Amino acid sequence: MIKIENLKLNFSGRLNLLVDNLSIEGGRIFTIIGPNGAGKTTLLNIIALFQKPDNGSIQIWGKDILKLRDKLNFRRNISFVFSQPYLFNETVYNNVVLPLRLRGMRDTGAVDEMLDLFKIGHLKMNMAATLSQGEKHRVALARAFVTRPKLILLDEPFLSLDARFKRLLINELRRIIKLSKATVIFVTQDQFEALALCDTMAVMVNGKILQHSGPEDIFARPGSKEVADFVGIETIVEGLICKKEGNLCFIKVKDKILEAVSEYSEGDEVFICIRPEDVVVSLPDRQAGKRMDTNSARNHFNAIIINIEPWRLEYKLSLDCGFNLVAFVTAQSVKNLDLRIGREIIASFKATAVHLIRRGSQNDTI
Amino acid sequence: MNFILEGFRKGVILLFGLDSGVLAVLKLSLYISILATFIAVCIGVPLGSIIAIKRFPLKKIIIALINTGMGLPPVVVGLFAVLFLSRNGPLGFLQWLYTPKGMVLAQVIIATPIITGLSLAAVQSVDQRFYQQILALGATTRQSIWVLLKEIRLSVLAAVIAGFGSIISEVGAVMMVGGNIKGQTRVLTTATVLEAHMGNFDIAIALGLILLTMSFIVNLALTFIQQSKDRQK
Repeated sequence: MIKIENLKLNFSGRLNLLVDNLSIEGGRIFTIIGPNGAGKTTLLNIIALFQKPDNGSIQIWGKDILKLRDKLNFRRNISFVFSQPYLFNETVYNNVVLPLRLRGMRDTGAVDEMLDLFKIGHLKMNMAATLSQGEKHRVALARAFVTRPKLILLDEPFLSLDARFKRLLINELRRIIKLSKATVIFVTQDQFEALALCDTMAVMVNGKILQHSGPEDIFARPGSKEVADFVGIETIVEGLICKKEGNLCFIKVKDKILEAVSEYSEGDEVFICIRPEDVVVSLPDRQAGKRMDTNSARNHFNAIIINIEPWRLEYKLSLDCGFNLVAFVTAQSVKNLDLRIGREIIASFKATAVHLIRRGSQNDTI
Repeated sequence: MNFILEGFRKGVILLFGLDSGVLAVLKLSLYISILATFIAVCIGVPLGSIIAIKRFPLKKIIIALINTGMGLPPVVVGLFAVLFLSRNGPLGFLQWLYTPKGMVLAQVIIATPIITGLSLAAVQSVDQRFYQQILALGATTRQSIWVLLKEIRLSVLAAVIAGFGSIISEVGAVMMVGGNIKGQTRVLTTATVLEAHMGNFDIAIALGLILLTMSFIVNLALTFIQQSKDRQK
């Protein structure tokens, strides 16, 4: 169990890090996501005793590590993999065996085991300088695991890898971590990496942990506008709950009324968050002269397409339906529905697809 | 032209005839230059590494002084060594003037800035990630320095080659400090100068060829070590 309390670091008069209270369960993968400059690496550097905070405590294995005199002994129980790992101008074997040698330990097969686990056994006698970027990352990871550390810090270890290779390596790494039973703190700015390699997750923005929970919660029910923004919720608009029937809220957004399922009360000012993949686009029925509610979604709005842009393997539609709404559609849909800028369409989404965040608690204005 | 060719002919005979006088000069030359290089390496490599790693005031000025020292004129080093080692000089009590020890001292003074400067540049060229990585792997300070030296071994070897090359071929300092005394302080360079002055061009050419051959063999050995490491890349 790792317990961080009142950790604070100011740098050049600017708040760099402020972690009031954070508990990390032992033997689990704790992933911190956040944008560049959020303070993720700073937190890892403090845990590895490379940086000193202004105040606070970090309890690891029952001791406040910030008060430790013997930094070396602590560092020998952890491993740190950097985003740009440094490999020594030696063979792969000599790189991986080095942590054992530095501890005065003999290699009784641990190196070969790690080389096999990370599928680099065939590169054992190759010089590190001759390896590809992906192979270098594997060597760095094998080197980090060879001493069987109790705590592993991973600082964006997949930063320069291509997507396919990254996916393979993450899958293998997850298996190896589970085998090792180590506690892992993994920081990244990539949501897909984070989702693929985490048991619990925290979102860090501007040096602060904004939300700490399971990954499903963070992505489906962000606790603040900043988190919603970071986890890719494209539509975040302000509204006021004007009526409530059971759990169903009627929210006024400009001159429109949205329906959402929430426990908030009538009169609450909220941010309305709608994920683009939850929005369905259809064409209006011109013969009937009105829209057709042919599905179970409770929210239907006449909208005009104001922009279409390719987005990964799909298209991102920016819609004006009295408020701005973003939807993802496939290339096939763009073609079949003849979607283009200026075209009138109907945007629909379920009441359960709308996530509400109460306004006013933080610096959360749009 | 003929006397040059004749000189070469006699030189080759002397070279392969293993003349005892020539062998004595050769042995002393090697002894002094190898010992001086060894001492200069022991001082220069750690000194260069520390200056490169540590932050301290006047660091740039000290680096500039070392860089200046890399081009020290041997004759000036010889002059100051004589002044310091002479009977009335501050190091006169050592009684090293006109002895091989004095010559080693002068050559150490010449080689040390070269090896220090090149080691310093080698350490400075090491990726900054090295330092955090080695600490993260659990190294002590001593272990970090050892791994660092292994990391820059090729550059250190180049520094050794440059240091050795600068002193095996210099004549000014060893002439002034050693006095070119036959059987005691006469080395290949001073003997070559003397024989050329006396008109014994055959002997001078032989000594010159020996000097070149010896220098080549030592550098060849060092280069083989350096390149064999490099080939593994």
